[in-house]
Amino acid sequence: MDKLPANGKSTVPQGTTVLAFHYEDGVIVAGDRRILAGSNLMFERCEKIIPIDTYSLMAVAGVPAIAFEISRILSQYFEYYRRTQVRPMSLEGKIRTFSKLLKENLTASTSGLTRVSPIFATFDIETGKPSIFYYDMLGAEFQVLSFTATGAGAGHIRDVLERENQWGPKPLAQRCEKDAAVIAMKLLNVAAQMDNQEKNALGDVQIYPILAKVTENGYQFWSDDQMTLLESMARGER
Amino acid sequence: MFEEPYRWMEAVATRHNYVQEKLKMGQPVLAVPYNEGLLIFGFAPQPGKIYEIYDRIALGGVGHPADVERLRMNLLDMAHLEGFNRSAQDVTSARLLQFGIAPALKQNFEEIQRAPYIIRLLLVELNEEGKPNFFRMNYDGHWETFKNGTAIAGDENVMDWLQREIQKQPFATYSLDQALQEATKLWDESRKIQSDNNDSDLDIDLPETLQEAFDQWYLEGAVLTEKSTSKAIYRPLAEDEINRLKSSIG
Repeated sequence: MDKLPANGKSTVPQGTTVLAFHYEDGVIVAGDRRILAGSNLMFERCEKIIPIDTYSLMAVAGVPAIAFEISRILSQYFEYYRRTQVRPMSLEGKIRTFSKLLKENLTASTSGLTRVSPIFATFDIETGKPSIFYYDMLGAEFQVLSFTATGAGAGHIRDVLERENQWGPKPLAQRCEKDAAVIAMKLLNVAAQMDNQEKNALGDVQIYPILAKVTENGYQFWSDDQMTLLESMARGER
Repeated sequence: MFEEPYRWMEAVATRHNYVQEKLKMGQPVLAVPYNEGLLIFGFAPQPGKIYEIYDRIALGGVGHPADVERLRMNLLDMAHLEGFNRSAQDVTSARLLQFGIAPALKQNFEEIQRAPYIIRLLLVELNEEGKPNFFRMNYDGHWETFKNGTAIAGDENVMDWLQREIQKQPFATYSLDQALQEATKLWDESRKIQSDNNDSDLDIDLPETLQEAFDQWYLEGAVLTEKSTSKAIYRPLAEDEINRLKSSIG
């Protein structure tokens, strides 16, 4: 036991900024791409926004092995239920299933080895409403009515999000898709500026963050071409 | 009683007759390609003919609802187990049939002490390259594969007629609306063959016109389309697509 890393000082790959907020058509979910082990860059093209079913996305911060496995199991549960019952799992059912998986990881997460701090964004087609849930590593879920962020850079961008939400031209939930996407890009730029772990290591290769939305039409990712445009808009408006 | 080979063969032949008789009134399910994927659809007095099995696989069924349901669950279990343990790319219709339900169905049919499955199944798939595959499976485990669409029906004559007619049309070049219209016309014409073949004691109230079919029965349909941005490319026909079909035949 004494060889285990102290809590919060794990050397397994981690270090992330993912965020989600409501906008007028649904939810924007965005995240960086880097995986770190301590100060070592292990991978710079990680996809931390993971589709769970047609109407749900999971944004992950923490240990990738556990986060990816949780996303695979969740996807399996939701899709199997939908196909066998010929109807989607209820929103409450989805949220509890997610929570249960995190609770099952409790022993490992309290040891400091395998912490996962996810965001779950979904559109409930029964009620016609989008939702964002933030989970702590013990599996408690918290519905977020405006915005949330998690990972190493989250502290920096929460402040910016609060400012945008309270004193911006409109609350985030009333912004149009273009504005919301530009804000998300700016926030990831802020996180990269403030958090040394998130800067682009490959100067000559453009690796964009991941940006997605969840609306009544399901989830959709921005393409590379759209990200190029968005990046220039985010930088041009600075 | 079954220790003699002849008795066993006689019993199997009797089972064929029994199942075919039970299936006779099963309403057709058609599956055809179109320019963006494939279409599977059918009319029936009760819903429960078309289902999603996996990301790129759909099922159509004719026969006893409980038997269709049991095999549907078997297919779902196999597909999801394989997809989780290996990859979604390893889940294919051919594997599900060849190594999954076909051997089990054959064994069930030839074990004459057990009740046979009263089913015909149609499994369709739009593979990773966007190519449609069509499979037809009989109650005795025999299965066939088709490139340009296929159909199942309770009545074998209707099924064969639909198969021939589907091959005559360039469905793969049609738009979804066009494919749906042409396939619906084939379904409509196939009812005449069904009426001609029916014994009087098997008669049920078949709709006399397509309009009556729309009014009295359920049209179930779905597409597997490359246009989908989602991992699961199955989607049921939308209400406006069905409404356009209704107005085109009206």
